[in-house]
Amino acid sequence: MSSQVPADLRYAKSHEWVRLSGDVATVGITDHAQHELTDVVFVELPAVGRKVSAGEACAVVESVKTASDIYSPVSGEIIAVNKAVSDNPALVNSEPYAGGNFFQVKLSAPAEVDALLTPAAYSAQIGA
Amino acid sequence: MAKVIAEMLVESVKMELPDVKTVRLQWPEGYDPGDFKTGQFITVYWPHKPKYKRAYSLSSCALDRGHYEVSVKRDGKMGTSIVDWVEAGDKLFVIPPTGRFLPVFDPPGRHLICVAGGSGVTPFRGFAREATARGLDTKITVLYTVRTTNDIIFAEEFRELEAKNPNFKFHVTCTRLAPEDPWAGRRGRITPEWVKSFVTDPAATVFYACGTNEMVAAVEHLVLHDLGLPKEQMKLEKWG
Repeated sequence: MSSQVPADLRYAKSHEWVRLSGDVATVGITDHAQHELTDVVFVELPAVGRKVSAGEACAVVESVKTASDIYSPVSGEIIAVNKAVSDNPALVNSEPYAGGNFFQVKLSAPAEVDALLTPAAYSAQIGA
Repeated sequence: MAKVIAEMLVESVKMELPDVKTVRLQWPEGYDPGDFKTGQFITVYWPHKPKYKRAYSLSSCALDRGHYEVSVKRDGKMGTSIVDWVEAGDKLFVIPPTGRFLPVFDPPGRHLICVAGGSGVTPFRGFAREATARGLDTKITVLYTVRTTNDIIFAEEFRELEAKNPNFKFHVTCTRLAPEDPWAGRRGRITPEWVKSFVTDPAATVFYACGTNEMVAAVEHLVLHDLGLPKEQMKLEKWG
């Protein structure tokens, strides 16, 4: 099954996506990742106010068959989490790029975004 | 009773490793398991958390009646709660077995090469148990990758099955042993060359892989590209 890779996002090798709005990044996992996980049954989100470094594990997503860490693709402070996704983890499957997002980070090192994968590079990684 | 979701009593538990526990779930009176098959998985949930479900391959086989067994690694909320807390007398809801990760016992004479990583070995216990109990001529070769010798699940049982069944072979490779470790077996990751060394008749071989996405993808590439076999000769189970 081919996965969606929206053109307006940047991507981490570990299958998170980043949507930039000013100096705030919204983070979620990709359509490819949710396909691989299958039905998501649990999401554990970081605490608001937590400082994270790029590549740091800060959330957990659990599907019917596995549990995986979610890594922040960028450094900064968690300023909001998506409570709707912890209340209804199936949103990760149904709306991976919208209602299924995980959290927002206020960037402390905006240049890190430039180092993330482009849509073309991520598509190549997943063979899309 | 029709084939339905059932609340099952934990009949017994056994720690296979410090982080892997086998749970035996007793079928309730009148329970009809339907036409379930070795290699399938069940989905379980707690009575008080019906939306939080986890699926586990059966480590028992279809000849085992009166119960299901799953062997669970401490992973995620469910795996952690099962390994750390579940004991005989507890209850779990069980959604009946399903899945297509099935051993090809018919036609006879097939060679099943089963590549497993970590707890991905659990369905192959069922394969070996059924083939041995039925005295089948199906060859089963399990190629199992673990970090160290302390991570081998079912080591003793697989050795016993090897002794009973000349068609069953169990090979382990360890990826993170200290150089001074006395292990005399293979070391290093599973390689295409190692897998291919067990293939004697490609047309009669069925490949199985259960483990990490990376390992499963490597087996898929080996079967489809290196060996040029049709996908029908391959069954894959990814962890995600």
